[in-house]
Amino acid sequence: MKTNKTIILLLALVASISFTSCVEDGDFTVPQSIGAEENAAVETIEAELADPNSGLTEISIANLAGLVVNGQATEITSNIVVKGYVTSSDETGNFYKEFFIQDKPENPTAAIKVALELVDSYNKFNIGREVYVRLNGLYVGEVRSGDGVATIGGDKNEDGDEVENLSLNQLDTQLFRSSNTETIVPLSVKFSEINDSHIGMFIQVDNAQFPTTLAGKTYVDANDQFDTQRTLQSCDGFGFTTFILETSAFASFKFATLPAGGGSIAGVVSKTFNGSDLVLALNNNADVDMSGSRCTPLDINDFNVIVEEDFDSGVDNSTFNFPGWTNFAEEGSELWTEQVFSGNGYGEFSTFRSGDDVNVGWLISPSIDMDAQTNEFLNFQVAQHHLDSVDNTLEVFVSTDYDGSNVAAATWQPVSANLPVPSDSWYAFKDSGLVDLSTYTGTLYVGFKVRGSGNDTTLDGAYMIDDFKVLAQ
Amino acid sequence: MKQTVLTVLMFCFFIVGLQAQNTVKGIVVDGDSEKPLKDVSVTVSKNSAYVVKTNQNGVFTIEKLSNGSYILQIKLEGYEVQNFPVELSGNTIDLGTILLYKDFSIDQDLSLITITDDELNDDASAADNIAGLLQATRDIYLRTAAFEFSSSFFRIKGLDSGNGKVLINGIEMNKLYDGRAQWSNWGGLNDVLRNQEFSNGLSPSNYTFGGILGSTNIDTRASEQRAGTRISYSSSNRSYVHRVMATHSTGTLEGGWSMTFSGSRRSGLEGFNEGTTYNAYSLFASIEKKINDNHSLNFTSIFTPNRRGKSSPNTQEVFDLKGIKYNDYWGYLNDRKVNSRIKEVEEPIIMLNHYWDMNDKTSLQTNIAYQFGKIGNSRLDFNGGANPSPTYYQYLPSFFERNDDLEGAYEARERFQNDGQLDWNRIFDANITNRAAGLNNAYVLYEDRNDDKQLTVNSILNSELTENITLNAKLEYRRLRSHSFAEVIDLLGGTGYLDINPFADTMDAMQNNLLDPNRIVGVGDTFRYNYKLNSDVIGAFTQAQFKYNKVDFYGAVNVTRTTHQREGLYQNGRFVNNSLGLSDKIDFTNYGLKAGATYKITGRHLIDANVAYMTQAPTIRNSFSNSRENNTIVEDLQSEKVFSTDLSYIVRSPIITSRLTAYYTNVQDATEISFYFADGVGGDNTAFVQEVLSGIERNHVGLELGIEAQVTSTIKLKGAASIGQFTYGNNPDLYLTSDVADNGGFDSNFRSKNYVALLENYKLASGPQNAYSVGFEYRDPDYWWIGATTNFFTNTYVDVAPLTRSANFYEDADGLPFSDYDPELARELLQQEKFDDYMVVNLIGGKSWKIGDKFVSVFATVNNLFGEEYKSGGFEQGRNANFRQLRDDKALDTPVFGNKYWYGRGTTYFLNVNLRF
Repeated sequence: MKTNKTIILLLALVASISFTSCVEDGDFTVPQSIGAEENAAVETIEAELADPNSGLTEISIANLAGLVVNGQATEITSNIVVKGYVTSSDETGNFYKEFFIQDKPENPTAAIKVALELVDSYNKFNIGREVYVRLNGLYVGEVRSGDGVATIGGDKNEDGDEVENLSLNQLDTQLFRSSNTETIVPLSVKFSEINDSHIGMFIQVDNAQFPTTLAGKTYVDANDQFDTQRTLQSCDGFGFTTFILETSAFASFKFATLPAGGGSIAGVVSKTFNGSDLVLALNNNADVDMSGSRCTPLDINDFNVIVEEDFDSGVDNSTFNFPGWTNFAEEGSELWTEQVFSGNGYGEFSTFRSGDDVNVGWLISPSIDMDAQTNEFLNFQVAQHHLDSVDNTLEVFVSTDYDGSNVAAATWQPVSANLPVPSDSWYAFKDSGLVDLSTYTGTLYVGFKVRGSGNDTTLDGAYMIDDFKVLAQ
Repeated sequence: MKQTVLTVLMFCFFIVGLQAQNTVKGIVVDGDSEKPLKDVSVTVSKNSAYVVKTNQNGVFTIEKLSNGSYILQIKLEGYEVQNFPVELSGNTIDLGTILLYKDFSIDQDLSLITITDDELNDDASAADNIAGLLQATRDIYLRTAAFEFSSSFFRIKGLDSGNGKVLINGIEMNKLYDGRAQWSNWGGLNDVLRNQEFSNGLSPSNYTFGGILGSTNIDTRASEQRAGTRISYSSSNRSYVHRVMATHSTGTLEGGWSMTFSGSRRSGLEGFNEGTTYNAYSLFASIEKKINDNHSLNFTSIFTPNRRGKSSPNTQEVFDLKGIKYNDYWGYLNDRKVNSRIKEVEEPIIMLNHYWDMNDKTSLQTNIAYQFGKIGNSRLDFNGGANPSPTYYQYLPSFFERNDDLEGAYEARERFQNDGQLDWNRIFDANITNRAAGLNNAYVLYEDRNDDKQLTVNSILNSELTENITLNAKLEYRRLRSHSFAEVIDLLGGTGYLDINPFADTMDAMQNNLLDPNRIVGVGDTFRYNYKLNSDVIGAFTQAQFKYNKVDFYGAVNVTRTTHQREGLYQNGRFVNNSLGLSDKIDFTNYGLKAGATYKITGRHLIDANVAYMTQAPTIRNSFSNSRENNTIVEDLQSEKVFSTDLSYIVRSPIITSRLTAYYTNVQDATEISFYFADGVGGDNTAFVQEVLSGIERNHVGLELGIEAQVTSTIKLKGAASIGQFTYGNNPDLYLTSDVADNGGFDSNFRSKNYVALLENYKLASGPQNAYSVGFEYRDPDYWWIGATTNFFTNTYVDVAPLTRSANFYEDADGLPFSDYDPELARELLQQEKFDDYMVVNLIGGKSWKIGDKFVSVFATVNNLFGEEYKSGGFEQGRNANFRQLRDDKALDTPVFGNKYWYGRGTTYFLNVNLRF
């Protein structure tokens, strides 16, 4: 009888244990450990950066991008880390296995691409997320050789001319998120101002629109297998400046209709597949706010030309001496010259073989009476040749207190115009855009100031000015 | 007594012999308690109809027997059967006191039943299990099939388990959706479901026309349950780890009340496969009130809420890297293994049965049953995140190898081997990151739900028209209202999930419900799809059974009328015009005819033959080609036509019991729908497709042999063999549907052109087509026993993908063969994979004690003693839909879209302790 009871007791015990044994098969409590490992990794990086003996140093995105050699993958062998803020998102599928980082959440100065073997990276490396990349052992270069988009990759290809994506393992060991997510304030620019230095930055262009010829079209053409390019335009003086919006056929908004109105567009500057053109790529079509009215360019018929000089009466290769104009060498001895090519005359300032270490030359227009009319605009054509460096500058100024001879004594205020950059084709005139002068009164002078050198061959390019006009209504 | 006299008279009428006054008598008592046993049946072997029962004092008397030799069989449920040879020559034989011993093989049966109940829940087609159907049989072949073969996904005659009908108290429990019984609806209640009547194959059942595999009727009547209490505990490493079960039956109480209660709990954090949690409760109550001698009412309620973690089929690449226990559905979350795919079944059954014995010849049983509740299968959805499955093809080494990226392959291999589980933290992190960015969830955990409400009403008449003729008849109405939808279970750290299908092209097409576009759903919200299926079946069945001295025969007729209708509750953006509202009503009138006879050459040698022809309405599953998204009905939908016949030779001698059966079953006009993502449709296109295969003919032909020899009083040898050939009998029609219109080989109605799938003579994937078992049992008089069997399995085939056997395989978009098509190579590529033969050894043993008035028994089994690794099932992935895709994939050392397999379990044990009082 005793064993009997023991058995019952034992069974009862086992039974009660079994009945109450917990199978928590539906418990989805948010794990507290999320991000702990990554945070520790970021803290380690920060501690190492603070410790001069750790050997780890930070490199700026600008300097890192500067290591990129066109058409070549370069291995990073030093113990450096780069920090940046994510600007792009693959949420909609318009980016694929890549994201861009820029050096500051606001007013960035440089950006670079990170190529990685991760899809839907937006839900990890979200826009604005502060990320660190331990670069030792990684590569910088281009994903498509020669496309000009500086990229951090995990490996190089067989030919050594392209970088490959960071592998999932490298993501774990090289790429870290801090817990910070900053708001990325788009850099406000005009289409005409976008250049290679903007690649990877989140920018915004106001007063933008799609041309009326695209009315009713979608972001992606159903016949395009990969990408569709749509022209963006923004009113600029009497015409438009244009830019390319490129959208992937894998973007979720690919068949959304292009907005018919005007307004702003914000996106990431990138390049076409072969690197031939700069393009804008959207993170999301919600970043296109074109519900406002469309802009219309100024109508030339509404304007009178109050000052005009086409320089066609110049003498080829002679010192510039058009009446009313001032030709002044602030430094060095080189002066502006008159040039005529195929019947077209223009003014040129070249420091090539000037013999001077520094040349600064001014070309100043005749006086303009700003009180006789309203709504004045300055317009000219401008070109460069042999321009190698952005330090070889052309600047445009206006002055209302210039006395017609003493350049140095006058107050010169800079005005912004669409000016040549080293990547522009040589000798190809481009429109300055319309420089709004309507706020000035009295007597106004326009000054073109070029800085260069006769001895430094990277600074001995030339600038050309033609078709100088002041328009008014 | 009147009965006896009548019987004896008949007996005399048929037996030509001298009318000698032979009498046999005896007293039957319990071997342990030595109390007299009442209602023990004593059968004279030459005529099974001649049965007497013992009275309250355990006394029986058989009179007026003619001279000759007989075998008296003394039988009582729960006791071992005793056989006495008697030689009658005109005198009275007094057998004196006959001791009947408790049959511990019943405990053994229970153990076997217990073993199988964990395998009855998987809804994967390859796990279609017949064991449950066969629990009640005593046929050696079928028992072997149930208990030795079933873990190999063996199928009787190569047929789907839906061909066997399971009834509880006369109510058919097979689901109208797919025709199969949902075993988990009454799992864990083994004690109270032991009263089962099994009819094998076409042989007649008193309750139903049955399917061609037969039928089982489970009787839960409280008055029929063995009175007493039973407590058991089991431990296993197969699916659950612990099981406790307690049952109490009152027997018949004063006032005509009987009650039975049973409850059990099965739990486990992990079964044989990793991360397969098991969490089940079972409750049962049956209450009977005997109103008077003629009327009795029984109320039964069954509630078995259960949750099980599922496990994945895997490619060979995955098995090679991670082993056969690997399961990709789970990952660590808060230091626990959490499975993303849980199947939850909560479908209570309530039943009221009225038993009316009109007279001692005729009874009418009227039943009403209602079943409701839910079946949920959970999984992750990820329209804003990367595929979380660690075995997603782009994460596995083969994918990198295909791209000649050996470094990547190595890295992927390392990653997969070192981790290779679901990364819950990443999933939560993605959702939390998105929430912080004001975005919708990347991931969501949801459940595919089937909420069925089924009402069944029937009446079953059973009438003994004469001594030889019994009439059965049944009228039945079944009404199913099924609601299917997806429901969010957990937002996993996010704020809401956008209910769109991101693979569609336009915003409109991305909508799962245009009535409520771009909806953000939270916990408990319905999304993705939402529809109802209505099904009504009215049926009538009648059967006559004739039993004579030399021959028994029967004939049965069954007529049913079935209607199916879908009602869409969402307007799907891809199917604007035919997703919302009612579909056309489809209806079928079906009939079945069957007949059979048993010819008794002698009482020990019998010949049995059966034949049936029936038509079967297609199941709801095979009626709508894409029921989640639209109302489209399968084109030219046909009822299945089934012809089946078998012939058996049966030996029942005191030493040898054996059955040899030859059978042939032919099924025509069957329909199959499958869903998959295909690369290479209509040339070089990819699409998620629904494949409709119709007009399928299947042939099932083979032999079954079971033999059992009682070599000594303690040793029994057993053997069974199934030699079958199950093949496609024709080249069925095939077409595809998808959500792509006017593109990639699909017309404006989302339909492909017509194909013919050249499947004739391909083997059906119906488990091992040949299986053999030999074994022994030793039963010690001291109440312990052991047994062992060795089982061999051969001719197991992979499930072939029909689309690759159609013209789509070699046709380019222009309808001409691919320029590089190579018929020789194609033949090689399309060769059906035959799995390796394998051998599994199983052991079983137990012991019983009687302590005071209580019985304790312990038994244990070990399955697959030597840990044989074998594939029990598998299928070709439909993804490589054409020659180029398949060629390129198979050319790799490790194919990216190789066949997926289920592996059998390695060595497992089961241990049970049982207390009865």
